[in-house]
Amino acid sequence: MAKARALDRRRRSIRNIRKITRTMELISTARFKRAMDRATAASAYTDRIIKVVRDLAQSGLEVSHPLLAPREHVRRGVLLILSANRGMCGGYNGNVLRLAHRRLAEWKTQLEEVRLDVSGKRGISAFRFRKIAPDERFTHFEDRPSFGEVELLANRYLDWFETGRIDQLDVVYTKFESLSRQTAVKETLLPLAGLGAADEENGNNRSAAEVQYDFLPSARAILDEVVPTSFKVKLLKCFLDAAVSEQIARMMAMKAATENADQMISHLSMAYNRARQGQITSELLEVIGGAEALNE
Amino acid sequence: MSEMRCIVVTPEETLRDTPAEFVALPLYDGEIGVAPGHGPMIGRLGAGELRITAGDRVWRYYVEGGFVEVLGDVVSVLAGQAVPAEALDEAVVLEELDTARSRKATTPDLMAQRDRAVAQYRAQARVARRARAEA
Repeated sequence: MAKARALDRRRRSIRNIRKITRTMELISTARFKRAMDRATAASAYTDRIIKVVRDLAQSGLEVSHPLLAPREHVRRGVLLILSANRGMCGGYNGNVLRLAHRRLAEWKTQLEEVRLDVSGKRGISAFRFRKIAPDERFTHFEDRPSFGEVELLANRYLDWFETGRIDQLDVVYTKFESLSRQTAVKETLLPLAGLGAADEENGNNRSAAEVQYDFLPSARAILDEVVPTSFKVKLLKCFLDAAVSEQIARMMAMKAATENADQMISHLSMAYNRARQGQITSELLEVIGGAEALNE
Repeated sequence: MSEMRCIVVTPEETLRDTPAEFVALPLYDGEIGVAPGHGPMIGRLGAGELRITAGDRVWRYYVEGGFVEVLGDVVSVLAGQAVPAEALDEAVVLEELDTARSRKATTPDLMAQRDRAVAQYRAQARVARRARAEA
């Protein structure tokens, strides 16, 4: 009986685990939907900002701004890493952290000073394990980062960049490309690589070229305002992408875990039934053997 | 009379997308009114009240920072922050104003910061008061 009972116990514990993974899958599905809605809602703003920049460029203004100019000597850099607060999401955190470590090692040899900002408990504990102390830790960016929170952070980086305390800001996060594709990427946000208008310029300038905008107060003043705003929006997008990707990763991981549990349960059920049947057979044989012995 | 479309977006969401007859916006140096047939314009927003009039309905928002783009018959308001006026509580805002005003400012930077905060809270209080007077 011992073997069958042990199998049954295992099967029961796997059933319990399956319940948990299934629930987590459902929760992250709901959260993913919410995060996705927020991300699409936010893209309306980004699209319009890009349009404003394009119109500015077409008004004959040379698009130049301190935030757009790369520094000749990059001496101080900030690495911002967006990881999750929770685990159970497959390779999500691992991928981001692997990329981050590579970048960090690169910068440590090249730059004089590297500042490390980490968001997410998982990232923080991973760095603790490697005995690296981040300069700043954030754990309050959950699955719904708000613009207000991101703006505070963005303003600080902008301030540092303008006053020359930092020369470059890199963000390592998981970019959401499509439902089935999210990749950990490293992006340089400061100096801004461009305002996202250059690649579309050719296709669209016939419609807007004839429009003569009235700029209040002036095109230059608008540009001065647009550039920091587009940086903030980009940073927000990083956070939103990371949040969406995290939920997808968790959804996938938990779905796979639930399926594995199902498979395991059916294997164990078969093994259990076989063990029980074997036991019954051997007991029957014993009874029959005993009866035969008595008859003789 | 022809109509315009007014779209209010913040970095987080699209707040309102509605036909409008008249839109009043707080620009950096004062209010501007946009009626149908307005010329193309891109302007910087300040802090203050955004009013969208359509028929006998008026929507009021407190907006702060950002841009407005008028092109054809579409007015797009890209606000850094936008709050429906009804959501503002004047008492709370006035309290915030008081704390902002009594903040210690020892450097020019801090002083500029304080002045900005005071101006923002004043604008908020004004919007809240007007919304209440209307209601």
